[in-house]
Amino acid sequence: MPTARILRNTLITALVIAAFAVSYRVTEADFPRLFLDLPKGKELLTAFLTPDVFTREVETRTVSLVFPIPCGSAPTEESLPSEGPRLVPSVLCAEPLEKFTLEGYDLQPNSEVVIRWRLPDGRTMTAIRTQTDANGYFTYEVQARPIQSTVDGVASRLEVDTLTPVGELKPSQALKDVLDNMFVTIFMALLSTTLATVIAAPLSFFAASNITRKGCLGTTVYYLFRSFFNLMRSYDPLVMATVFGFWLSFGPFPGFLALTVVTIASLGKLFSEAVENIDPGPVEALQATGAPPLHTVRYGVVPQVVPDFISYIIYHWDINVRISTIIGFVGGGGIGYYLNLSINDFKWHQAGTAIWAIVIVVWAMDFLSSDIRKRLT
Amino acid sequence: MLKIQNLSKTYPNGTQALKNVSFDVQDGEFLVVIGLSGSGKSTLLRCINRLIEPTEGKIIWDNVDITAAPPAELRHIRRKIGMVFQQFNLVKRSSVMTNVLSGRLGYVNPWTSLLGIWSQEDRQRAIQALDRVGIADKAHSRADALSGGQQQRVGIARALMQDPKLILADEPVASLDPVLSHSILQYLEQLNKEGITVICSLHFLDLVHRYATRVVALKDGVKVFEGSAKEIDRAKFKEIYGEEAQEVRAASL
Ligand SMILES: Nc1ncnc2c1ncn2[C@@H]1O[C@H](COP(=O)(O)OP(=O)(O)OP(=O)(O)O)[C@@H](O)[C@H]1O
Ligand SMILES: [Mg+2]
Repeated sequence: MPTARILRNTLITALVIAAFAVSYRVTEADFPRLFLDLPKGKELLTAFLTPDVFTREVETRTVSLVFPIPCGSAPTEESLPSEGPRLVPSVLCAEPLEKFTLEGYDLQPNSEVVIRWRLPDGRTMTAIRTQTDANGYFTYEVQARPIQSTVDGVASRLEVDTLTPVGELKPSQALKDVLDNMFVTIFMALLSTTLATVIAAPLSFFAASNITRKGCLGTTVYYLFRSFFNLMRSYDPLVMATVFGFWLSFGPFPGFLALTVVTIASLGKLFSEAVENIDPGPVEALQATGAPPLHTVRYGVVPQVVPDFISYIIYHWDINVRISTIIGFVGGGGIGYYLNLSINDFKWHQAGTAIWAIVIVVWAMDFLSSDIRKRLT
Repeated sequence: MLKIQNLSKTYPNGTQALKNVSFDVQDGEFLVVIGLSGSGKSTLLRCINRLIEPTEGKIIWDNVDITAAPPAELRHIRRKIGMVFQQFNLVKRSSVMTNVLSGRLGYVNPWTSLLGIWSQEDRQRAIQALDRVGIADKAHSRADALSGGQQQRVGIARALMQDPKLILADEPVASLDPVLSHSILQYLEQLNKEGITVICSLHFLDLVHRYATRVVALKDGVKVFEGSAKEIDRAKFKEIYGEEAQEVRAASL
């Protein structure tokens, strides 16, 4: 029946095309944007490439100037100094919304300056941050705003802070925070791996066919433990962290629990396979001596699986550092959470520090774990 | 005395490895089991301490039916039956000392031994056992650091720890070169002279002639010969080993 076949093939093709069309729409795939948005990406990339790692103690020197808005509402500056660090506005007072130029002379060269208004009630409004040149000069166009108007004869002032780094380089606050949070992540991974090992190591023997799968009871135990591990393994740590998070409110604890549960299942499976792969000879030899079953395992199986177990534990610690970073991102605490906060606050340099820390730690763990595992075999 | 009565073994896959085998072993004998590869020698030896469950038949040792023993009693019986393997079956990553001590697991306090604690007496016994096979100096090496001949001697020392009345040796020298074979078999012969019954499977005719006090031959799971080693001449040997006799003789003579 060729017509039926053609019909069937056409239908399948149509369905496949429809499926792709739907997926394209739901993922909002817009590949041209990859290139159109390049300038934005470049800015972010630059921020990430210049992480906030070190700071220096900053000395702040302030020069200021009375600046009445509107003109006549208060006395203006009587005379402007002609030497030393000083501010020179193009006009001594302005009407609201009028623009004028503010210049600074003989300030600290090549320094960051913060230009701000000090309002009559003492509050401040930062206008901009800029930079002085090699001569300590800057210029900036300021617009007077109604909010800066004189109140009860007290005029607003223009203040300019010159920020000069002095003294030694110091680790920045961001670096300290990143290290603290990294510590949380690494130890969350370590603790969950340890707890999971303590639970999974004994249980894994029940899921090893060469140990339990004998007789009716043994076979039941074997399948019970095996399916338990398989079932637990099929849950994604992220999903489980979210579930635990709703139950226990977000923070490192639910993330830790989720990680532990997933690790128990995964290690249990790996351990039981290691137990299944042992040389049965020594076990048989011990059975032949009349040793009790538990002792046969203790003396015949355990020494054979120890290197494999250690290798899997280290491997999982490595994996768990990565997973706990991601769990952190959805609210589980640690470096992932810190990264999430930094991005939400548009603190790109700080986010850059966190990303660098993650990259370095993941790389180091990977190197360490493969190195130790190589030595074990 | 060990009585093997109408012993049969059929593996789950249908292989009939032993067919109605019967013979007796007197205390103090050095009984050698011969037969082609696949003739059922290992199956027979493993049935005796029930590492393999016989399908039919009985094994009676000093009036106790081994085949009917419940697990606890079976462990009790196994303590008195040492076993030596072709592949030595040592725990490779454990020390020689631990391997030898583990031969004592059927006797010692189960709680302390589970923690790896051994009495001074057991340690001394282990050193003595190693001394008997001439490798007391290797006590603290890892088992896999030893040569094949040395590992088999550890295997014998482990069996000695059981204070056995019977030793089952399943091709104990098949993985060793001829010179080492003699040295290992001489240890077994020595133990045999001290009163331990030995049942040993061997492949080479000269070794059979040299050590056996009696021989049982298997062919396709059937006992085809039982008698003294002297009775096995070329004709008999050919009968047991069939067409491959030339080959085997070339290797063994
Ligand atoms: N676990 C098993 N399952 C199924 N068949 C088996 C098993 N063990 C052995 N056999 C079969 O039973 C027969 C006897 O095997 P056995 O190992 O007892 O012979 P053998 O005389 O010891 O041989 P070899 O000299 O090679 O050690 C062979 O045909 C073998 O393939
Ligand atoms: Mg064999």
